[in-house]
Formats: sequence, structure tokens, C-alpha cells
Amino acid sequence: MSLAPLLLLVGIGFFAGGFGALAGLGGGIIITPLLAIYYGLPMHTAIGISLIAVIATSTATSSLYVERHITDVRLGMTLELATTLGALVAALVAHHVNRRTLAVLFACFLLYSAISMARKAWGARSRQESPGIPDYTIQNYPLGLVAALIAGGFSGLLGIGGGPIKVPVMYLFMKVPLRVATATSNFMIGVTAAASAYVYWGRGDMQVSIAAPLVAGVFAGSLLGARMSSKVRSVWVLFLLIVVTGWLAGVMVYKIATGAF
Amino acid sequence: MMKRESAATDRTLAFTLKAGAYTAFILVLAGIILRNWFTAGAAVANAGLLVLLATPVLRILVAAFQFLRERDFRYVLVSIGVLGIMVLAYVLGIQA
Repeated sequence: MSLAPLLLLVGIGFFAGGFGALAGLGGGIIITPLLAIYYGLPMHTAIGISLIAVIATSTATSSLYVERHITDVRLGMTLELATTLGALVAALVAHHVNRRTLAVLFACFLLYSAISMARKAWGARSRQESPGIPDYTIQNYPLGLVAALIAGGFSGLLGIGGGPIKVPVMYLFMKVPLRVATATSNFMIGVTAAASAYVYWGRGDMQVSIAAPLVAGVFAGSLLGARMSSKVRSVWVLFLLIVVTGWLAGVMVYKIATGAF
Repeated sequence: MMKRESAATDRTLAFTLKAGAYTAFILVLAGIILRNWFTAGAAVANAGLLVLLATPVLRILVAAFQFLRERDFRYVLVSIGVLGIMVLAYVLGIQA
């Protein structure tokens, strides 16, 4: 591969990684469509490569966030149990379920999330931000677990990543501080992605010539994003999340309207 | 406030993550650069990606081990549970 396309891939990865590090996502939302549309890769290959990129973001960002004690490892593990369980159960009952209804419910959840976060951001816009992580107690644990269970089911059946669900669940429902929510989400998505990645890798849904530069970029971008995260005001992180959630909601509505489900 | 034992867990986990991340990063980078001159470059990059794929499982194992050292048996179970479900999903060929 010549230099220019190589650098483009690195650049895409860098952007996705940085953005994912701040918002608690894996960047797959950008990468999958780009690979499928711009690079013309078959969908399953695009997803396979995207999953590896998510693992890269997760590992790189967690290496910093865990060290700084921002990530709530216990919470992450517990929610991860619910999520993977939900995905497993959902995959097993997939045939009996109306995907259209699911898609509508998911879109509603995303819209609700986006609006709630927007209200929080509006309320916080002039408030001074206290440095460091405030002490917190996790609330609504059962609700959070159920939400994670359902989220896992959604992501398994609809092929949508976890970040946009996990962060709002922790932040809005379980009253976890935003930075902890994004850091913990980053920790979890690598595990969720790995479960599917092994299947895709085993089937050969991979292209090293594209995955390698992408991953290199993702590493650099997410490490930089994680390092800079303390300097980014929560309001901007919320804004990023709202944009992504709103975008996803729009994509879902479009797909429902055009009968993709 | 952060318990001393939990802080140690975080450190060990962070170290594992860093080791995995940087190893994968260096291999992938080396693979990309080497590809211009050697066909072995692709294999090196591939190795980097494999290391990357292994890190999530590794982090669960390390976390489980650390929870064991902290005598936090509930989370040992949780971690093993996650691992178990991942294995099950893989065996069944299910996409999570």
C-alpha cells in the first residue's frame, strides 16, 4: 500500500480512537461505515476490522484510566456479565423476536438518552467543574443490570456497539460520574468486542493490510485522548455523546423507515 | 475512598493492559514499516493483532486473580462468569 492511503487509514484510526477515548465508545460507529462504503469492504469484513479497532481503543484507554483509578473495574465486570449474558440469550432466541419492534424500542431509548444528556449539559453549562473524581455511590443497581442485559441483547441482535448504551445507563440511571462512566465503558467494550471478534477472526473476516494501519492510528489517538481527557470539560464530552447518540437514533429511524428490519 | 488492596489491583491490571497495548502497538507498527522491504512484515503485523485480540481475555484473568488476592470472591465469580459466557458464545459461534 502506498503512503497516502496508509496515512489516511492511520488518520481515521487516530480520530476514531481519540473520540472514542473521550466518549467511552469504540469508534466503531465511524469505522464500520467508512470501511464498508469508502473502502468497499464486505460488511462482515468491515465489522471484523472494526471490532479489532474497538479492542485497541479499549485496551489503550483502559491502560491509563485504570491506572488513574477512574475506571470502576468491579462495576464494569458486573455490567459486562449482564451484557454478554443478554447477548447470548438474545442470539439464542433471535428467531422468535420481532427485530422491528426491537429497533423501534432501541431508537426510543437513544432519543431519550440524547435528550436527557442534553438537559444535563444545559444545566451544567455555566457551573464550575470540580477537578478529580467525586465520591459516588452506585444507585439503581438492579435497573442498571437489567439495562445492560437488554443492551447486550440489542447489540447482539441489531449489530450495534455498546458504548452509546452503557455510558447513558451508568451516567443517567446509576448516577455514576460522567468520567467514571466513560472510562468504565471503555474498559467493557473491549471485552464485548473480543467475544465477537474471535468469531469473525476465525472466519477470516479480516484484512491485515487495512487493519494494521487503522489499529496503529487508533492506539495513538486513544492514548492521546485518554491523556488529555482530564483537560476536556465534561460538557464537551456530553456534547460528543449527544451527537453520537442522536446520530445513531437517526440511523435507526432511517433504517426502520426504509424497512431494513 | 480507594482501598489499598483495590489500588494494587488497579496497578496490576493497568500494567497488564499497558504491556498488551504497547506490545501490540510496536508489533503492528514494525509490521507496517517492514512490509515495504520484507514480506515478513505482514506476519509481524498479524502477530501484533493477535496480541491485541488476546488482551481482553488476559485482563479478565488478571482481574479474577487480583480479586482472589483481595479475597473478593464475589468478583472472582463475576469475572469467571464473563469468561465462561465468552467461551460459550465462541463455541456456539454466536456474535455478542
